[in-house]
Parts: sequence; structure tokens; C-alpha cells
Amino acid sequence: MASKTNRRDFVKRSVAVAAGTFILPQIIPSSVLGMGGKVAPSNRIIIGSIGTGSQGMSNMRDFLRLKDSVHFVAVCDVDSNRLSKAKETVDTEYKNKDCRKYADYREFLEKEKLDAVSIALPDHWHGIIYTAAVNKGLNVYGEKPICRTIEDGQTIVAAVKKNNIIWQTGSWQRSLTNFHRGAELAINGRVGKVKYIEVGLPDGNKGIGTPPVRPVPPELDWDMWLGPALKVPYRGVAHWDWRWMLDYSGGQLTDWAGHHIDIANWGAGLEHTGPVEISGKGVYPYEGIFNVPVEYDFLCRYDNGIEMRVANASRLPLGMGTTWHGDMGWIHVDRGDIISASDPKILNEVIGENEIHLYKSSDHWKNFIDCIHSGKPAIAPVEVAYRAISVALLGEIAMTTGETIKWDPDKEKIIGNQKASRLLSRPYRQPWNLPTI
Amino acid sequence: MKKQNLLLLTVFGLLPFFSACKNEATYKTLLITGQNNHNWQESSPILKQILDETGLFSTDIMKTPDKGGDMKTFNPDFSKYKLVVIDYNGDSWSDKTDTAFVDFVRNGGGVVIYHAADNSFPGWKEYNAMTGLGGWGDRNQKDGPYVYYKDNKLIVDTTAGIGGTHGKRREYVVRTRIMDHPIMKGLPVAWLHGTDELYSLLRGPAKNMQILASAFADSALGGGTMRDEPMLMTITFGKGRIFHTAMGHADIGGGPAMQCAGFITTLQRGAEWAITGDVTQKIPWDFPSTAGVVLRPDFKEMTLDEAFKTIGKYDITRSTKSLACIQSKIRSLSGDTQGLLAIEKDMVKVLSDNGSTSEAKKLLLRELSWMGTDYSVNTIKKLNSDPELKDEAEFALARIQK
Repeated sequence: MASKTNRRDFVKRSVAVAAGTFILPQIIPSSVLGMGGKVAPSNRIIIGSIGTGSQGMSNMRDFLRLKDSVHFVAVCDVDSNRLSKAKETVDTEYKNKDCRKYADYREFLEKEKLDAVSIALPDHWHGIIYTAAVNKGLNVYGEKPICRTIEDGQTIVAAVKKNNIIWQTGSWQRSLTNFHRGAELAINGRVGKVKYIEVGLPDGNKGIGTPPVRPVPPELDWDMWLGPALKVPYRGVAHWDWRWMLDYSGGQLTDWAGHHIDIANWGAGLEHTGPVEISGKGVYPYEGIFNVPVEYDFLCRYDNGIEMRVANASRLPLGMGTTWHGDMGWIHVDRGDIISASDPKILNEVIGENEIHLYKSSDHWKNFIDCIHSGKPAIAPVEVAYRAISVALLGEIAMTTGETIKWDPDKEKIIGNQKASRLLSRPYRQPWNLPTI
Repeated sequence: MKKQNLLLLTVFGLLPFFSACKNEATYKTLLITGQNNHNWQESSPILKQILDETGLFSTDIMKTPDKGGDMKTFNPDFSKYKLVVIDYNGDSWSDKTDTAFVDFVRNGGGVVIYHAADNSFPGWKEYNAMTGLGGWGDRNQKDGPYVYYKDNKLIVDTTAGIGGTHGKRREYVVRTRIMDHPIMKGLPVAWLHGTDELYSLLRGPAKNMQILASAFADSALGGGTMRDEPMLMTITFGKGRIFHTAMGHADIGGGPAMQCAGFITTLQRGAEWAITGDVTQKIPWDFPSTAGVVLRPDFKEMTLDEAFKTIGKYDITRSTKSLACIQSKIRSLSGDTQGLLAIEKDMVKVLSDNGSTSEAKKLLLRELSWMGTDYSVNTIKKLNSDPELKDEAEFALARIQK
């Protein structure tokens, strides 16, 4: 344990070195300072993961890929089958049996001495576990959306600020060329002044009715899976399908906000603010346990006059992705390397030396590790992720209440609507509470 | 930009709701039936019920003579009507009646072509101009092109081949193609339709026709063209407007195809549009989405009163429709304090009723957590002592009293 503590301290020291506060050149390999080359095994970032479902494992593989700079030591999940598979993946990579398993994140955070943690959980757990990890001083790679409610998000952002750790959100589109290029063209006025943005997110899913209550499988700690959410009987719906129930997620809307809304904000200079007025409507299922909107369409107005329409893709002319409309044309970006514009010439524009150059990363997971070494912010910091999901959460509130919501993006409060304000948080089932910062 | 905002406001019917109240000024409607290879005895009274339910139409059903009968005796006075609904697939009418009908439409009369009515009269040129597309009756390339969507592109296909087919009956997703058409404005862009025939390979003159909605005929589901086939169409003929629905195959009691809230709503809206060129009906709260088929066994939209009568018996394994009805009313009130309080009082009645199920109370407690007032607090506090409801009651109180 002591040696691990030293490693973590080492990373912190090297950050200080990078910042030029003191010099210990004889023990700092150049690679740690972001100069490339091999990192000595002892200088690897010690990392573990909480949540070993599909996204957690995907992130784990991306970190394991960075062999020279990352060392995975522990995994945590409430599903023991998944946990064993995760351990096996790590052990196979290292050809040993060393990866430690935890069923309870509290024990994981208490016992493990880590530099960083990769967290991928259902949204209703984000507020508590992100804050707890950040309070431990850990650098966090956290999946989007970073919170289920605005209040959860505010708490996480405050914890990150206070603990001064490196935060990377799983908004990995930022590290792809087409999204970066589109956002950079938009923010440098290549379509003129951006006035209107369309964000297309996936259409809702099909319902499944109400599956009967069934015994909780022995590998799953259902009560812990529910955690702060209201207690409901187990109906065979936990992994993946939690996305379609409002207690745990806002559906495709909130799941994808951290991608295409995040990119929209990036290219329109809205990363550190929010809309002032939100209105729209959702289409909700009438049968079964899935209750997130299957269609959604809302409009956000910003203080500077920009408007952003967020809708399920089938409702929009260009479908999925982000489209910035300016007074001189438009640029559209989407997955699959898609970038297009009203005039193809826009796409050949060169960004001049004195123009805005957006943060460049070509590897989202490596960017996180590099930033732990350098002490620089990662490409998808927490405040920016909070602003992206806020748009979706405010849209959700507008659709739930049927009202036009007025939002103060500076004070981060709903104006003049007590009922809608209640939806900014979700009471936690006891004994769970947001950790104090 | 302004146009887009207006579109957004209207797309989901955010503009003030128009309630279709019963009044004197109903549109006189003639429904023609009497022969069909389909179960017209079931479908015709249901179509009348669906239309008259809106309060906009007053429908007379008129039967032709039976097959082989003397069509000279079939002489409807179209001049009395604003709308003619065709639920007919049978013998040719008399020349006199044909001419009178063509004149009626040409001079601005409205028409609804329902399901197998597009099979009818393959040799009657004007009638086929009104349906736009038809099937069976030896229709082929001589009758006009196939029209369909392939990879989201509208295709007009003159390839030789039969007109009209359908695979095995199935539920299918209906996809809106013209979102800002008055009939479609405010509807979900896609919704699941109750089990029905999926008319395919229709062909016809297809002039002055718009396809409002289509459905993908998936060959994996018991036969299909792998095209998006037209389901809802509008056609103009002279000054007349025609609404053509290829859906709604009738079983005993209408069956899922006719009971589908999507079929019912588009028929009601299409019929009004055929008369006036506009639609004043509000979107019903139970319009389906892709999440599941919504059937109305009695062809009526559930009212708030009915929702409150049934929600107390709510059992999670059964329908959540009553809650959805209440939620949609809450949303449509858009913050109207008095309106919300009236609903809250009804919710509290259900909470106070020992006969209400715990599941019903749990649903209402979640809803009250954000829209409840002091009026609910004491009732909710009492529920706090019920171990079954404790968590939900605490959840609601925590929010209301925050």
C-alpha cells in the first residue's frame, strides 16, 4: 500500500514540476512531462473502475490499450458475474491474478490507493459516486451524462473544483477530427454568426410491457443497484435497459446530450453557460414500465439570441448530429466521420493563427492520462459536461411540466416556478445522500 | 429561423388547443357501403362512430344494392353533403351516379377513401384519379406507376407488374413524411399501428397526390416489398380534396386495425381536412408512439373522469393508460394553478381511498412530488406510516416541502 501511495504522490509531484514550481529533474522521466517515449512501470497511472457493464468495459479496454502509461489494479460492480469477467480481462492482459474485486464502491474507494478511477454507472448513481471519488482526491474518467439531476451536477462540479483533480467526461466525440473541425469552423464564424443550432439525438426505443416480478439472480445486489432510487421489485430489467426508466435516466435524450449537445455548445461558445428559456413537448409511452419520452422536441433560447432545438433525429431535416446555422450557411457533424456544409468550400477554410483554436486531442483516454501528468485540464472537463446535460435536463423539466421554463444560467436556478424547481433534484431513498463536499 | 420556431410550436400542438365540442354546425357526411370483399357490416358503423365522436360530423350510412342488384336505384343526393366516405368495393354504380359524384368532388366536395375502397372501380378513370393509388382488380402498369419511399427517397416506379398485395397481418410503424401538413401537424413522427394489412404495390395515376405517411413492408415479417409503402395520402381533384387511408382492415368489433388510436385520429383529421383544408381537432393524449400500440376498444379517447375512475384499480401488470391520461392533462394545463389544483384534489381522493391499490398510489405520489401543493401534504403524511408506501411518500414530501 505504501508504495502505491508513493506513486500517487509521485504523479502529484510531477504535476508540480510541470507547472515549474520546483525541479527534481533527476527522477522525472521526460515521458511523464508529456514528451513521449516510454514511461517507467512505476510511473504508470494506477487506475481502477467502478461499473463493469458495456461502457465500463469499453473504457477499461481503452485504458488497457495504453499499456505503458496505465496500470489497472481493481474493479467494482454490484453484479458478481460482470465483476469476475472484468477481473479476468485485466488479469489476462497482465498475465497474473492481481486485479482486486469489490462489490461495494465504498470499500473500493477506502481500500484502494489509486491515481484515477474510471466510472460508468447508471445515471442515478452518478451524483453520489462521482462526488465520493472526487472527494477522495482521485482523478476521474466519468461517463456522460454526468448527472441525473441539475443538483447532482452542481455538487459534482463543486467537488471537482474544490479537490482540484483532473476530470475527463466520456464525451469522446471531442477527440475525433470531424467534430473538432466542425466546431472550430463554427466558432470562428465560417457560417457567419451562429444563430440557430439543431441537435438530433436517437429516436426512442420500443416498449417491453411490464415483465413479471422475478427472483433477483444470485449474482446481482439489486438493492445496491437501486441505491438512492425508489425501491421497486426486480423485473429482470437492470443492465442496459435502465436507460428507459425515468428513475434512472432520461432516455436517449439524456444519454446522448453529452455527445451532440456537448459538441453544439463547443462550436457555439456555450460551454460555460445555459439557456434562458426552454419549451417543448415529449411523447411518452402509455403502457409498461418504460416511461422515458420516445419522442422529444424542445427549443432553448440563449441570452445572446442563439436558439437551439433538440429533438429525436426523425423530427429533424438532417437527422442525427449537430448543425450550426449561421447567417452565411450551415455546418453539420455526426458520427461516421460526417461533416458537411451548405457550401462545401466552407470545409476547406483554414483557421488563421490568431483565430480560435479549439483544444485538440486525438485519443480521449490518453488525453485524460496525459492531463493527469501535465496538470492541464482534459478536453471534456466537468463544468462543460454539466452544461451539456443541463440543456437536456431542463428540456426534460419543460416536457414534464408542459411549461416554458425560465432559467438563470449564472445562478443556475429556475426563475419564478416553484413546481418546476422541484424537478432540479430527486430525493434520495434513505440512507443514501449526496456526500458533502 | 422564425419559420422553424413556428414549426416547433405547431408541430406538437403547442398552439392553443381547440376542443371539438358538439354543436349544430356539423358537417353532413355520407358513408357509402353495401358491397365489399371486406367486412363492411362491421366497418361502416364504426367509421360513422369514429367520425361523429368528434362532434364535427353527422354521418348518414347509405347502402348500395347487393351484388348484382339494380344500381339505377342507387342515387345519393350528394348536394346535401360536405363529405363522402367510401367503404365500398363492388359493382359499378350507374353512369348518372358516377357523374354526380365526380361533379360533387370537382366542385369542392370532400372524400375519404378507406382501405379496400382503393380496390374499387378499376375501370373508372376519375375515381382512380381521386384515390391516387389503388390495388387489385387487375391493376398493373396500365393504371400508373408504383409510388413508394426507398431509403427515404420518394420513388415513382413505372416497372411492369401487379398492383396491390399485402403480406401477413402485423403491427407496423407508420412514419410521417410531411410533418407540417395540417393532418399530421403535432403527431409523433413515427408510431406503432395495431395489427393490420400492410397494403403494398399500390399503383395508380398518382397525380396531385401527397404521401403523408408510409410504412416499411419488412419481408421478414411474413412477406413484404422492403419498401416504405404509402399509408396516408391526400389528393386534389378539381376543387375537391381527398383523404386516402390504406389502413383499417376490419375484424369483428373493428379489431386492432380500426381500434388503433392512430388510425382513428388520422381518419378524423383527414376527414376534416377533406372538407375545409385545415384541421381544428386537438391531438388526443393517447396518440400512439413507437413505444407501443394504443387500442381504443370503444373507439373513444379516455376522459379525465374515466381515468380517475379506473386509476384506483391500477395494477402494474396492466395498463398505465389512466395515469398517462392524467399526466397528459397536467401537461396540457401548462402551469394553470387552478386547473392543477382541481386535478390534485382528484388525486388526493384516490390516495385517501382504501380501495385504491398501492401501485396506483405510488404512481400518483411520484406525480404529486412535483405538482402537489399544501393540499396534498396531510394525506401524504398519513401514507408515510404504510410500509408499502413509505419510500414514495417520503419522496413526495421531500420535494413538496423543499
